Amino acid sequence: MRQRQVEEAALREGLVAGDRATFEIVYRRHNAAMVRFASAIVRNRATAEEVVQEAWLAVLRHVAGFEGRSSLAGWIFTILTNKARSRARADGRMISFDQGGDDDSLAAAFDGRGHWKDLPDLWEEITPERIIAGRSILEHVNAAIDALPPAQRAVLILRGQQGLDSAEVCAALEISEGNMRVLLHRARLALRTAIDRLQA
Amino acid sequence: MEMDDTKMLTCREVAERSEDWLNQDLSRWQSLQMRLHLAMCKGCDRFISQMRVTRDLTRAAALVEASHDADDRRISAILSALRDGKETTG
Repeated sequence: MRQRQVEEAALREGLVAGDRATFEIVYRRHNAAMVRFASAIVRNRATAEEVVQEAWLAVLRHVAGFEGRSSLAGWIFTILTNKARSRARADGRMISFDQGGDDDSLAAAFDGRGHWKDLPDLWEEITPERIIAGRSILEHVNAAIDALPPAQRAVLILRGQQGLDSAEVCAALEISEGNMRVLLHRARLALRTAIDRLQA
Repeated sequence: MEMDDTKMLTCREVAERSEDWLNQDLSRWQSLQMRLHLAMCKGCDRFISQMRVTRDLTRAAALVEASHDADDRRISAILSALRDGKETTG
């Protein structure tokens, strides 16, 4: 935690100074996930890219005020969430992440006594670099993330990729901790299923 | 909540607690229950392994894309928009 704060303080200094090299580091670290995340809210890639550009401008304009109380990623994604939700509202779409979500995707995997009906497979062929159907496993994973319902996608990106802690995620998406845990669990289960199918 | 502490976990309960298990977020008693079950249940042992791989691939997927997203033009556009903004409001 301390090391991250030291690194983030250095990044903040570079961003405040308008240092291009620093901005490139931060941009490359977060931009792709920001577009993917914004798409969950505005539902359109071109609009998502516009919203992300606006968010970057806001980040650079206000970074002098970033005090390190949250993580830098948490702060950036909070700005982005607000921009994306404003844009969605302006486009006439009401966005709420406070959903229980769909039914329990694992329910069918267990019998009446709570035991596995079919044994889960050994994933002997699932490595990041492996190519299946012309794409790497990681490209398949990104495609599976894009296919998640928006609320699950948003939570997975923030918590499972960007390393925001629970409190940051709940604050950014305005959801309860309980809701966040359900969404995250369902998102991970859906990804597991998608990866499992690659082996078939 | 489970009142009977002596009852073994079902596979379904293991699956529901998998996230907390991987995050080391279970109490000592709950961790012990999980460990006992995983030692005896091949299905759940594989499932937990799958969830661990899923978690690791999820993290890795974000990083791989980031390294290809070298959009110099966009970076330049953002930085010049920032400078223009500063000039007009300055």
